[in-house]
Amino acid sequence: MKRLFKYGLYTIILLFLLLFITFPVVVLVTKSISAGWTFPHLFPQFFTLRGWELLKSNPEIVEAIYTTVIIAVSVVMLNIIFALPVAKGISHYHFRGKTVLETIFLLPILVPSLAIAMGLHLTMIRLGLSDKLIGVILIHMLPTLPYSIRMFKAGFDQLGIKWEEQARTIGVKRLRVFWTVTFPMLAPNIRSVALLSYVISLSQYALTAIIGGGVVTTLPMIYYPFFNSADQMVIAAFSIVFAILPILFLMVLEVFMKIYVHIVKR
Amino acid sequence: MKSLKTKRPYFYILPALLFISLFIGYGIFRAGVESLGSNGSMFVHYTALLSSEEVYKTVRISLYVTVTSTLLSILIGLGITRLLYRFFTSVKWKYIVWVPIIIPHFVAAYLVFILFSQSGLLSTVLHGVNGFGLPFPLVNDQGYIGVILTYIWKEVPFVVLMLLPIYQQIDQRFEDVVRTLGGNTWQVWKTVELPWVGPVLLETGLIIFAFVIAAYEVPALLGVTYPKMFSVLVYEWFYEGSWENRPLAQALMIVLTVVMVISSLIIITISKRWKKQWAKEKIK
Repeated sequence: MKRLFKYGLYTIILLFLLLFITFPVVVLVTKSISAGWTFPHLFPQFFTLRGWELLKSNPEIVEAIYTTVIIAVSVVMLNIIFALPVAKGISHYHFRGKTVLETIFLLPILVPSLAIAMGLHLTMIRLGLSDKLIGVILIHMLPTLPYSIRMFKAGFDQLGIKWEEQARTIGVKRLRVFWTVTFPMLAPNIRSVALLSYVISLSQYALTAIIGGGVVTTLPMIYYPFFNSADQMVIAAFSIVFAILPILFLMVLEVFMKIYVHIVKR
Repeated sequence: MKSLKTKRPYFYILPALLFISLFIGYGIFRAGVESLGSNGSMFVHYTALLSSEEVYKTVRISLYVTVTSTLLSILIGLGITRLLYRFFTSVKWKYIVWVPIIIPHFVAAYLVFILFSQSGLLSTVLHGVNGFGLPFPLVNDQGYIGVILTYIWKEVPFVVLMLLPIYQQIDQRFEDVVRTLGGNTWQVWKTVELPWVGPVLLETGLIIFAFVIAAYEVPALLGVTYPKMFSVLVYEWFYEGSWENRPLAQALMIVLTVVMVISSLIIITISKRWKKQWAKEKIK
């Protein structure tokens, strides 16, 4: 009886959680295709794809999708390149000053990134990095890198050194061990790191606005002025684009990882 | 060979370390330089901040929003994790937790807007009941309720994802020992869970706090024009007029940075000690 009660309780909590998470998303999707669903009408007047069509026919938005994706993918790749070795070093080695270093690697998400962006603004202009993709990509590293290091460290912690050692003792070169053993085994962590840094890069308004100087037009640059505009259907559709982009990215990443593993196995 | 082996970890760490220290070090240094007054009175902008009524109100509202969002996210996230961590091991249900994580903060703000604004869904439903909708604003309101709701929706899943692996590491037998000795749920929490979860909880809280207090995206959309949160005020100063308020913006951000660095160091030290102390007791 008590067991039954407990399972009943679990189910209720899960359903509540599901509602809490999915209900707003369902409302959003409905909103993007409903006309006249505004106060005080409790139900949409009729359904239409007009919001989506308006979005699709806006050349500025299509252009911004390219810019946003280029920046986000670069941020993901730089995150993997920078974070993997750090995580390996922190996880598998003991050395002096490790705790201090770990704290330093957490700093970019503890120090206000707005302060850093404002401080770097003039220097970025002087170096010619401002108003360009590269400047925006670099500044997006700040809110992403600490998470990537943390997630890769968890991966290396779990992996231990036994796999790499085994491969090394049968005489495989260090770099080859990395590409054929370590990298494939970290696949779940690579997936999380890629997804999270992609989403964080997608979510930046203030940093992009300051360093991009209004010239680098990512999707958020357009979304903000849209927010208070009249057409709710368009904003709802626009909002959904932000959720679709990470999902598409994840699917493409999955294909690449499959191909990679296939090649390595041969 | 030996020297290479001891130096190896430093090679691994160097690129990222250089990048981070250069960006943060130089960025903060430049902000500091630009926050100083030019002729004679170096700290003129800092004293201006101290005497500003608006800044005082900004500090108050920022602290209130940040502390409320952080505490509620931690408590709700902890509650959900405690109840469901056994469930999440086998079931693929845990992927629904990822949904709010892949949605940007400003889109989450829009979700809160369509649900809780004066013309939102809740107001519409209430309109059918009482004939006028929401009696007071929940979004773009003086109490920043919309902002707090957005942060909770976004950060609770983050807390769950941080805690889940820790809870799944806890040896079930510890709880059994406490239970057979007649301990209740509170004692299980205090003696078994807290030593494992506590340090991570502190760190997670710190990360959320640091993010919320300095983030621009959500309060820019769902806040009010007076009082503003830190980043909104600073952002406005930064771009206002002919840049004459820039030093003021830099000064306020420097103060926030110094406070955040000091409090982060304290909290990380406490968290590390806590972890170490527990590790020692485990060996005994």
